[in-house]
Amino acid sequence: MSDFHELIKNFSKTRGYVRDFFVYGFKTRNEFTEKSPRTYDNERRRLESWLSPYVRRDYTQNGANISLAIDSNLLDTNPLFQVWKTKSFTDNDIMLHFLLLDVLKNSRPLTAEEITDCLLSKYETLFDIQTVRRKCNSYAGEGLLNKSREGKAVVFSLDTTLADWLKANEAVLDACTFYQMAEAFGIIGNYISGQYDYPNRIFRVKHSFFVHTLEDEILLGLLNAMNKKLSVRLEMKSSRRGTINTACCVPLKIFASTRSGRRFLCGYVMKSRRFTCFRLDTIRHIIPEKEAPGYNKLLQMLNRNQCYLWGVSFHSDSGRHLEKLAMTLHVIEPEEDYIIDRLKREGRGGTVTKTGADTYRYETEVFDCNEMLPWIRTFTGRILSLTCTDRLVEQRFYQDLQAMYQMYHIM
Amino acid sequence: MELFSEIYNCYYQVMRHLLSSREALTIPDINAQIYKEGFAESLLSIIPKIKNSSWNLFKKDGELYLSRISPSFLMPLSDLEKSYLKALLSDKRIRLFLDTKRLERLNQMLSGVSPLWKPEQFIYYDRFDGGDPFDSIKYQKHFSTLLHAVKKKQYVEIDYTAPNGNRVHHYYIPARLEYSVKNDKFRLLALKQTKDGKMTLETLNVARMDHVCLTEKSLSADIDLNEIIRGSYYKEPATLRIEDRRNALERAMLHFANYEKNTKKIGENTYECLIYYNQNMETELLIEVLSFGPMLTVTGNKQFLEKVKERLKKQKLGMPVGDRVF
Repeated sequence: MSDFHELIKNFSKTRGYVRDFFVYGFKTRNEFTEKSPRTYDNERRRLESWLSPYVRRDYTQNGANISLAIDSNLLDTNPLFQVWKTKSFTDNDIMLHFLLLDVLKNSRPLTAEEITDCLLSKYETLFDIQTVRRKCNSYAGEGLLNKSREGKAVVFSLDTTLADWLKANEAVLDACTFYQMAEAFGIIGNYISGQYDYPNRIFRVKHSFFVHTLEDEILLGLLNAMNKKLSVRLEMKSSRRGTINTACCVPLKIFASTRSGRRFLCGYVMKSRRFTCFRLDTIRHIIPEKEAPGYNKLLQMLNRNQCYLWGVSFHSDSGRHLEKLAMTLHVIEPEEDYIIDRLKREGRGGTVTKTGADTYRYETEVFDCNEMLPWIRTFTGRILSLTCTDRLVEQRFYQDLQAMYQMYHIM
Repeated sequence: MELFSEIYNCYYQVMRHLLSSREALTIPDINAQIYKEGFAESLLSIIPKIKNSSWNLFKKDGELYLSRISPSFLMPLSDLEKSYLKALLSDKRIRLFLDTKRLERLNQMLSGVSPLWKPEQFIYYDRFDGGDPFDSIKYQKHFSTLLHAVKKKQYVEIDYTAPNGNRVHHYYIPARLEYSVKNDKFRLLALKQTKDGKMTLETLNVARMDHVCLTEKSLSADIDLNEIIRGSYYKEPATLRIEDRRNALERAMLHFANYEKNTKKIGENTYECLIYYNQNMETELLIEVLSFGPMLTVTGNKQFLEKVKERLKKQKLGMPVGDRVF
């Protein structure tokens, strides 16, 4: 396979493959129909190479199934960070990276011409000035070098004050090892701790959902637009049907679930004049557009509405603005007081009232009660009644219960 | 600011280590470093580049390779990394790591930098209320002691009030600090030596600690935490059958991401997922499984299946309206 390369140019293509192959897909060669079998082999080989310590193979009737053993409670890092470290480069890129930074270390600011001369005299390596200037400009753009003017000459310099300070202050690196597992853009924390050879041996993160790192480039684009108060056009691919569609909105906030790690853009869609949430893992491209008029007002409006959100849905199928839900539970006191604690801690602002001996009532008013059902089901075994102004929610709850009684032969 | 950039490439990392070596290297030395840090097939790409001097970063002396750059090579931080650090400075948990002096110094060094994000731009809509008191001086002190103890494998003496009100006093070896994103709480995964010399794993809420004190004693042996965790699992995993309707497979894979598991396809639209768990995880796993309703069927183990059935029986008895027909 002479055309096989371990490194890649384009992250967005790979993002799809990682998900398809390993995380949800369980795809064998025969089930992979979007591209040629050759593409399948190359992509699979590449992913296996990057993630080899975590690859698990199972053999089925249809062929070998590959999945990733990435169980977060047993790992000190997110294995999928590896995918971010695969960007291809040229021979000049890697040589200039080390030689430029070495030349400029403890040096006065130098012009591109002076740097080129130094590269030849100090390292016996000849580069043309344009290549050196281009790399210096690119590194100045990334913030690795400072670019300034000395008279008419453009000079480049290196300041490692912050890098030196971090090296001497382990506490910041401890913070990076924590945040890389527990916060957005963990990959950047991982880049920093990697530069100092400071792997995480301190923290584990429960409820850490590794796959979502793959969306961080999209997240970065959205935050950039939010910080500049721009509207955006989103190109999305449906995860279920695979169809592609677009939407224009004013990006306002990122909603994240601690239970699934899923992240959503909450935006205001001008066309429908509604707040809508878009799953980050379905967004393929973001095109920043013009400045959004009334951005702060929209943000205030969202803040006012936020207390009526259970999850990410701003309206139910019933068409009513708000829906009420009440649930009565049997709680033996004081042995089962933890249930009352749960209602208060997990109930997202709903009220909890004692209505009789060992009986509590939880009530809330939200945009879409349908989103509450998974949480309600966690109280299975002690629910005395459930009522909802959205009849479909009530109906689904009871139908699902019936289905479960049948599944488990509960007479 | 590029997130996917060659400057963060794994090969650059490997080369940084090779080039920072004060000693001349042989090809087997280089191979070993690539094997340790690179991807599975990186050897095939990197070695020819070094041998044929396409990456002219070494002086060749016979079979030896000597770095052309200073061994104290240090990469400056990119704007992306600075912006990330600036964002962390606004996080409520940063005080657990940085004291006022360090916070001020870092803030000063990042004075011209915009944060990558602001805390108010993220809403964790299903995070439980009642997270840990990160602002509390006592909590910060305990955290700092535990952090030190984990790094140095030092025994700590802990006074602890358990959720049932019992007070516990014991010596522990802190193994890891575990953070729950959902609960916004830290817990200490602590090893306790039993009378017969075995190590058992206990989980203690940091916020419930009344007193934490470092001792002089440290653990010299390496403990395989994962082996202890795996050793605590029930022999038979919980077996779930997932019908991939209403996107149940994807939801289940995400939901159970923090468990050790093995999933395989067993039918056209049906998957089987084995989840390994221990007694401490059982209730949480049970209610998570119940939250899926009929999208997911527990088929084993017997004990777990009985627990699901027990809840459903109780539900049917307590709410006969569950027999409503729509």
